[in-house]
Amino acid sequence: MSFYLALGGRGFIASEVVTTSPFSRRRALQLIGLAGGAAVLGPVLAACGSSDGARALAGNAPVSGRFDGVTLKLLVNQPHVTSFRDVLAPAWKAASGGDLDVTAAPYDQLTSKQILDVQSGTGEFDVFDYFYFGLGDLVDAGALTDLTAWIDTNKDKIDVAGFLPSIYDPYTLLGGKRYGLPYDGDVHILFYNAELLDRYKVEPPKTWDEYDAVSAKITTDAKGSAYGAIVSGQQVPMILGCSFINRLTGYGGELVDANGKPALTSDAAIAAANHLVAVAPSALPTPLQIGFDQANQAFLSGQGALLDTWTDMALRAEDPTASKIAGRWGAVSLPVGGTNKTPRTALDAGFGLGISTAAKNPDAAAAFVAWATAAAQNLSVSSTAGAGIDPVRGAVLGADGYAKVVTKAIGPIREGLGGRPLVWPKEAGAPKLLQDLVDQLALAIAGSQTVEQSLGNAQSSWEKSLT
Amino acid sequence: MSRRVPLWLALPAVAGLLLFLVYPTGYLIALAITHSSLAHPLRSFSGAANFSSALSSAAFVPSLARSTVFAVLATVATTSLGLTLAVLLRARGTKFGVVGALLLLPLVTAPVLIGVAWKLLLAPVGGGFAEAFWAIGVGGFNPLGSGVGAFLVILLIHVWQWTPFAVLISFAALGVVRPELLESARIDGAGTWRTFTTVVWPAIAPTQWAVAVLELVIGYKVFDLIVVITAGGPGFATTLSPYAIYQTGLRGSFDMGTAAAQTLIFAAVVGAVATIVTATRARALKAEGS
Repeated sequence: MSFYLALGGRGFIASEVVTTSPFSRRRALQLIGLAGGAAVLGPVLAACGSSDGARALAGNAPVSGRFDGVTLKLLVNQPHVTSFRDVLAPAWKAASGGDLDVTAAPYDQLTSKQILDVQSGTGEFDVFDYFYFGLGDLVDAGALTDLTAWIDTNKDKIDVAGFLPSIYDPYTLLGGKRYGLPYDGDVHILFYNAELLDRYKVEPPKTWDEYDAVSAKITTDAKGSAYGAIVSGQQVPMILGCSFINRLTGYGGELVDANGKPALTSDAAIAAANHLVAVAPSALPTPLQIGFDQANQAFLSGQGALLDTWTDMALRAEDPTASKIAGRWGAVSLPVGGTNKTPRTALDAGFGLGISTAAKNPDAAAAFVAWATAAAQNLSVSSTAGAGIDPVRGAVLGADGYAKVVTKAIGPIREGLGGRPLVWPKEAGAPKLLQDLVDQLALAIAGSQTVEQSLGNAQSSWEKSLT
Repeated sequence: MSRRVPLWLALPAVAGLLLFLVYPTGYLIALAITHSSLAHPLRSFSGAANFSSALSSAAFVPSLARSTVFAVLATVATTSLGLTLAVLLRARGTKFGVVGALLLLPLVTAPVLIGVAWKLLLAPVGGGFAEAFWAIGVGGFNPLGSGVGAFLVILLIHVWQWTPFAVLISFAALGVVRPELLESARIDGAGTWRTFTTVVWPAIAPTQWAVAVLELVIGYKVFDLIVVITAGGPGFATTLSPYAIYQTGLRGSFDMGTAAAQTLIFAAVVGAVATIVTATRARALKAEGS
């Protein structure tokens, strides 16, 4: 039997038994045709490709007002949901009559989801809670509205001078333009379990060497009931990147030097990476598998003595419904090492609020951004356990109300945010640079290659992109 | 005998092919030969630059071999285990029964849930196996802590998840073996193994090869377990190709051009291996037929 297809009055017959060689002349011609077609198709489609969607907010756009019946749609970092949904939404309703519709995205997918929302043409969201090291990619994608004129026109009403100098420019400024206002001023400090330190007769460490000694002693003496250190080493910039950069600042290093060149093979960088490798045996197993949730849970349940993490841990640790160590913890500035004697933190993560270029309610979005980042709201969310927000304004950092809720952590928080924290790269492509760095660090921690090899590879990758 | 079919009857199929095969494939090829980011697809013609970038990626290139090893090991394990379990089930009777239904549970459970469940079980502190590890003197042991360990754990979970698929198909295939042939073999004095190799296997071999090809493709496609359990680590130990491509396109660099090139390269590797398996199958079946 064979099948006959009528083809415009003509036809062909396909025999039921077809014998072909694996790579016939006909197959070769098909492949060549496919490749040729692709070569033609690429430039043609490229000519129809995407274009920038840059948009600027007018200087006379509102910074306040009534927005009854207007629902603003927000795409936010998942750990920030409580701050928007439970704290800000009711207050915004009372202040403006408007509503908030909050959608959460995991922190490692936040930037891509924001880009896709605009680039795909969906344009569902008005306001983006954006991660500052993704700022360059968001601007490159035309996803964030240029707020320069609006901020310049309303600098007094917005109280621009009240933002912490250490974070205002890093979070909002790119290429001379501003794309948002700071919302969450993230830095790390070192938290410790005071009960474990007392039990094993050790002091909170001031240097990374002391940190190693404390970690080793507690892990050894506790015989499995507790670990001296919790090292967050999950292979994403937000986790392992923070752990490395905390040590880098401690040893006095930088990610890029004053000339903008990568400095990942400096003595400080090597010391920082070596520290991550050396502490692993006495840390909560296994650092490369420890992410944000595992680290927090281990510290709050009393299983680990030392944890360098975000400052809002102070509120979680003191909350008896979430913490078994309420009242039995402390915090100090990040340790120092090598020749460096001055503690310094880094802007580990950190978020701003910007307006999507596809926003359907840009005026209401602008008013909301100004309102949500004002001192009163910043104090409110910074003082709420589980909101995951830290101060972005000097008035909040110095407020007694904030000091009262973060208790013992207030000293190192003020020292960190009030100082000169290290700023991560934020130009277009920065997330890739940081991913390259943590990929290489993970190989060193896993023992697949040396610290020097890892940092050398990361340096090469950064040099290709930054120079 | 031949049969005339009007051409227009083929239009739905042609439209489907254009929509679901030709257009996506053409777009993928176009992405692969242009500078394309998540924000700006098809920005400008790039020639072979994306392929060069793909082949210089520290994560992607080793992932091709890693994915192949994973898929082959998974195929051997799931197919052989599946057949063994199916034979044991068949020995109990012709009904799949409660035991069979329970065996299918991993197959019908969402992969993300499987990943989360195993991650919680394997957590070194507070995990379901933590107490057991302490009891046998390896307290704090984390099977996901080393590269080899994490790879084997992912492989074991995958085998646990996909063996029921092989059981299901093999059980059905065993049903086609005619009882009188088995009876004849028994009367002729053939033992269990001899009966299996000379009577049962020839009847089910085509099905088993089909199961093997399907399991091979499924093994190449593992993604969700990696995302949930190891995120490709430690290092790149569990970075299989689908995860490496996802990382390139949607995390970190948002480099859709290179991700598309990686997808084409990966498809070529999977196609080559599948072709080898299919050719081996044809040769084996032909040999058995002769």
